[in-house]
Amino acid sequence: MKLTTYASSLHDLSLLKDKKIDEVILAARSFSRFGKLSHSEFIQMAKRSKELGLRVLFEWDILMTEDVFETKVKEISDYLPSVDAIRVQDPGALWWVLENTKCPIQFIAENGNHNLKALEGWIDIAQGRLERLVLSIELPKATIQEYVEKLSVPCELLGLGRILLFYTPRSLLSPLNGEKLALNEELAALGESEESPHKGFPLVENQHGTFMFHIKEFCLLDYAKELSEMGLGYFRIDQRWAGWEHLDLITNLIMDYNEFQFESFKQQYPQELMRGFYLVNKTDVLFPKLKNARLQHREGNYLGEVLEAEKSSHLAIMVKNPNGLNVSDKLKILHPKGEIFETKIFSLRNLSLKEVEFIPSGDVALIQFVGGVWVKSQVFYID
Amino acid sequence: MKSINLPEILAPAGSLDKLKVAVLYGANAVYVGGQKFGLRTAAENFTLDELREGISFAHERGAKVYVVLNSFLHDKDLSELPQFVSFLSEIGTDAVIVSDLGVVRTVKEFSNIPVHISTQASTLNSQSAKLWKKAGADRIVLGREVSVKEAGKIKREAGIEIEMFIHGSMCMAYSGHCVISNFTQGRDSNRGGCAHSCRFEYSIEGLDTPEKKKAYFMSSKDLEGLRVLPQFIEEGIDSLKIEGRMKSHLYAGTMTKVYSEALDFFKENGNFLSDDLLRWESELKKVSHRSYTEASLVNKAGADSIFNERENSAEAEWQMVGTVVEANPESGIVLEVRNAFNQGDHLEMIPFKGENIQITANEIMDLSMRAIQRTKPTTLVRLPFVDGVKKMHLVRQRIKA
Repeated sequence: MKLTTYASSLHDLSLLKDKKIDEVILAARSFSRFGKLSHSEFIQMAKRSKELGLRVLFEWDILMTEDVFETKVKEISDYLPSVDAIRVQDPGALWWVLENTKCPIQFIAENGNHNLKALEGWIDIAQGRLERLVLSIELPKATIQEYVEKLSVPCELLGLGRILLFYTPRSLLSPLNGEKLALNEELAALGESEESPHKGFPLVENQHGTFMFHIKEFCLLDYAKELSEMGLGYFRIDQRWAGWEHLDLITNLIMDYNEFQFESFKQQYPQELMRGFYLVNKTDVLFPKLKNARLQHREGNYLGEVLEAEKSSHLAIMVKNPNGLNVSDKLKILHPKGEIFETKIFSLRNLSLKEVEFIPSGDVALIQFVGGVWVKSQVFYID
Repeated sequence: MKSINLPEILAPAGSLDKLKVAVLYGANAVYVGGQKFGLRTAAENFTLDELREGISFAHERGAKVYVVLNSFLHDKDLSELPQFVSFLSEIGTDAVIVSDLGVVRTVKEFSNIPVHISTQASTLNSQSAKLWKKAGADRIVLGREVSVKEAGKIKREAGIEIEMFIHGSMCMAYSGHCVISNFTQGRDSNRGGCAHSCRFEYSIEGLDTPEKKKAYFMSSKDLEGLRVLPQFIEEGIDSLKIEGRMKSHLYAGTMTKVYSEALDFFKENGNFLSDDLLRWESELKKVSHRSYTEASLVNKAGADSIFNERENSAEAEWQMVGTVVEANPESGIVLEVRNAFNQGDHLEMIPFKGENIQITANEIMDLSMRAIQRTKPTTLVRLPFVDGVKKMHLVRQRIKA
């Protein structure tokens, strides 16, 4: 497993020497969500990276509407001669790079892409041009292991860095200050809500929009050995916010994990850390509770719904089954709280209060009142 | 006048009843969700029987039905999909709406159902549209960050059908790129568990004042594109989508009717210079909504597109009174009452087409023909028959001047 990381200055590059890192992600201001490098700085950094024997990975991870895309396509030719591979996230950028360059591609599949078929799909679309897939940090380890084994290109996973929660192209912070940001200006703040137990979400606004991060950073340093043994290709360390002073300790932990050192690292690190869903992802277990139980039983012999329950007089049922309702049908009535009642139709009236033998679907049937039944009860035929 | 292809009006249908409402009020197509694979976990959604009936109901009236499969599925979810896709194919589903490449490939493998790429995939440019076309897509539902002019360019460049949102609530984030719920509430927003954290009030520290600023800074106003209709038509946009599968019958009916009527007017007259424009706008305002914005339809959404207010702070001027479940001279008008009204109240019946029918509830009876003075929610009441009122018409009442 190889390490990959960002560098934002020549000084950062010098720190990467002797860390067994053989590539670096360079983020230009114009193409990368959090890029800081101007074009000339990028070229200078790329040149120095190559002198140091580092592959240069060009990060093009912004999402772009048509007009923005057109301006980026005009700019990108100034960067391409200096890069060894391009990292893209917008499928449009992927398609453009495929069609217009011969550059190796690293596809950032961090958003969604939680099934093998999707990931294989990106590899197929790229027709042999993908050299890497960047996997979602929402994947649990068993899934990562399966993907690493089955996918035909190496995979990368974030090992340490911020968790991006929210990305919009709209400017959301500067309006609170009452003035627009200058082109290369960045505004950073912290947000918290009384409706959330989490305090201090980092917020950033720049020329690409507004971003919100988790209050904790994502960290799998203590699982680096496990991931390496799984066959993960690349482990990404993103120190753009926390700073570089912990790099020695981080690389030591990755190469030779030691629990004591890890505890010490956690104490020193400026942010709290979390491993997200690495052990298990149960982000769908609450779904059944979000649903009104009353509405979950409409399969099978479903007849319709009670619209009115008039004590000692009648139940009004909206007939929804194409078979309609007949006199002498036997019915099961499911109360919204789960209680079940049974009855047999011995008289049936329509809304003109006429006795009838049959009520078709789409009409309201009046039947005898059944004690205990409420409005919104669901009605079923009994075979 | 030269013949112009008008876009379809695509309405939300969170349940079979709402599907019927949307179709009767003029939708050319509706989008619906099954019990799984969509993003509205809490919605009533459709059982298999209801999907079959809904498609049959819509097809009989010339409308299409698209089924949403727009979750970002995990492998275990995906394994259950082929059977459902085969069922959708068998019952004549007109298209499926998909965000995930794995789902696109599964649909192509197990059916010939046309694939529409969901807005959840945030397709924003012609290159992206070309990629999805290559992957098997028949239509792209563009991200709401794209202007109508850009959309026209994408259509021409990529040679694919284009759908855009014209009305409704909006994610502030690029759709599919918000995982606040996943990491703060353990609910996968991209599988239907969105907790709407963007609608919360936040205290923000670190701006230009030492004090924290309180703001609903991540909450978007609602989209409203009535006056942009000429541009949609000029750019050849194929489908105009109304957001809101979780919203009410009144919402589904009103929005569908307004946009359908506006397009009908254009079809007849070749322009929108209608005296009805103000009436249509007034109708859109009668349904509960956040402040409206055209967002990025014409110019990029600016600071004025932020809804810096508490949710539901704007009380609706009008409320739904009920739905007509029967209307003929013999039975009278039988209303399923949702919100109570009194004898003598003024009610507005909304026909499927044309001007609203105004009535005064001078005489109200229960089903057993006993006179009543005040109705109760979840009851059926009888009003005297009025010509023009039909079954499934929606009824509302002004509650605030």
